[in-house]
Amino acid sequence: MARKLSLAFLAIASPLMVALFLIPWPWAQSVFAVLVMGYPVALIVVAVGRRGGVGPLGLPLLALLVFLEACAIGMLLLRGHVTDAPWFGGLPLAAAIQLYGLFLTPLLLVALTYALTFDRFEMKQDDLDRLEKIGRRPGAED
Amino acid sequence: MPILAKPEIIWTALIYLSLVVVIGVWAARRTRSAKDFFIAGQGIGLLVTALATMSAAFSGFVFIGGPGLTYRMGLASLFICIPVSFTAGLLCWVVAKRLRLLAGVREIYTVPDVVYCRYRSRMASGLAAAAVIVGTVGYLGAQLKALGILIESIFGTREIFGEWSLAMAMLIGLIIVVFYATAGGMVAGVYTDLFQGALMVGAAIAVFYYALEAGGGLQQMAQSIIESDHFGPGHLDPLGAIPIFTAMGFFLVFAVGNLGQPHMLHKFFMLDDPRKLKWMPLIVGVTQTLCVLIWLGIGLAVPSLVAGGKLAPLANPDEASPQFLLHFTPEILAGIVFAGILAAIMSTADSFVNIGSAAIVRDLPKAFGRKVADELFWGRIAVVGIAVSAAVFAYLYGDLIALLGTFAFGTFGAALGPALAIGLNWRRVTAAAASASIATGLIVNLVLEFLAKQTYFEALPKPPFQTGVLPTAVSLAASFTVLFAVTWCTSRNQEPEIDEDVQLVMDL
Repeated sequence: MARKLSLAFLAIASPLMVALFLIPWPWAQSVFAVLVMGYPVALIVVAVGRRGGVGPLGLPLLALLVFLEACAIGMLLLRGHVTDAPWFGGLPLAAAIQLYGLFLTPLLLVALTYALTFDRFEMKQDDLDRLEKIGRRPGAED
Repeated sequence: MPILAKPEIIWTALIYLSLVVVIGVWAARRTRSAKDFFIAGQGIGLLVTALATMSAAFSGFVFIGGPGLTYRMGLASLFICIPVSFTAGLLCWVVAKRLRLLAGVREIYTVPDVVYCRYRSRMASGLAAAAVIVGTVGYLGAQLKALGILIESIFGTREIFGEWSLAMAMLIGLIIVVFYATAGGMVAGVYTDLFQGALMVGAAIAVFYYALEAGGGLQQMAQSIIESDHFGPGHLDPLGAIPIFTAMGFFLVFAVGNLGQPHMLHKFFMLDDPRKLKWMPLIVGVTQTLCVLIWLGIGLAVPSLVAGGKLAPLANPDEASPQFLLHFTPEILAGIVFAGILAAIMSTADSFVNIGSAAIVRDLPKAFGRKVADELFWGRIAVVGIAVSAAVFAYLYGDLIALLGTFAFGTFGAALGPALAIGLNWRRVTAAAASASIATGLIVNLVLEFLAKQTYFEALPKPPFQTGVLPTAVSLAASFTVLFAVTWCTSRNQEPEIDEDVQLVMDL
């Protein structure tokens, strides 16, 4: 289900983005920002989907999606309010969301999720053995 | 201040360049076959592969172009590098595992080889090769231009060659890159990448420290930028100084476009054991994040120093890094950092020279059903041709390094990204869909870039998009759209046939 939904999202979001680039609409840029944040997460779900589900990756990927979207919406809401918004970590709030939120936080979430689920979900020894049995073939030759 | 008056910088840079030449000579002795030349014999370990991937991805674009772009458009420019926090994971989940497993069961050296194995289509792999060549000329051009600007700064060639200074500096850089790329191929590439990657990380951390010190800390830098007439509050507003389409377009292109970058994907073919991918996102992500500190540090420090009157406003934003290093870091550190930047540029340039020559010597002939007899020899000849073309293109391209790099990155991302990212994970994608998507990404990107930049033909219209829309974002979205649309039209009645081993790789 998650995989099909992600494929549907990508299939709809791509032409929608092109339309947003062309049609003058007041919300076009904000909608684009929200779509952009969902795009990489949808690609990951398409790649890791097994029999429709995403196994142990469901929760971390959902957290990543929510976090990225929250950062985008936060920056959109704070647009033009650099001087009157509070500061955080030595930076205006919008810049802090960009640097500490979008830039630093997903690193550990993504890298550790990948490593911790690798052996039981991403690349199992049984799978490698099956591949080994097929043997090596010549590559891009006819 | 003329840099010739700072001998430590020159000596450090010369020592670095000599070390690179030594590695090139050593690697040349280890390069005995086309497999060695193109994928380093598929015998590279985790740390070397990870650092090679990182240093191939980061280049003059990040070290010279990035701070220049931040000087010009503020924090919005950081949307180019911010995706590095998750792009290593994205790469590994979406394409790296399948590329490495495929390289284990097939003789695969290049991305067009992968396209051929997946789609069994010469047209698709030929189009992929054409995209690789076009993108390589642009990306390599950005490296050579950055290298030229740096050599110009370090060795003061402007005082010697006058108006031909940049051309001469680029020529010097070209000769060095061509030497070690033709001699050592990918063996030279990955081992210089290891050395260069370590140097880049160290240099970036050191520069960030000095940037904070010169600017009086993050808060002080931010405050002086906001209060300055020259920059103002918009400079620190991520979505305020430039249209959201531009800022978020950067994010889209540099996050999703990563999936089509052959100089990074190429590294996964070389990994000796696919199980080592486990720690790849952590190593690549952390080292990339550390490297980005140089962009962030100089990008914030230089505007704050200009705002505070400690540095004159820059005539050319691309001079932000050289100016900061010359005036605000100790001489010996500046030398090491210049060497680190040279490292970044040359490691990326080397990767591009290699994949570009592979596309010319292996992939294009295969698309026409031909095979080059001595790939190693002709690969080396192709290196020279592609490097010279890139240098000429970059010299004639009248814009910032970062924008030249964005065009090239976008070309790869739009042309190759959808066919690989979706095609390797969804069996319904057909060869026709992949070919149409690659052609769309390549042509739309080239046409839009030409229309946006050209001044030769007044009658030609500008691209019909809203203000701030990036041509590369349009081509990426268009390429995905075409992939889904053509897949839907061509696979409704029958799913495409895929070889058993490729299907198994896709299922794992």
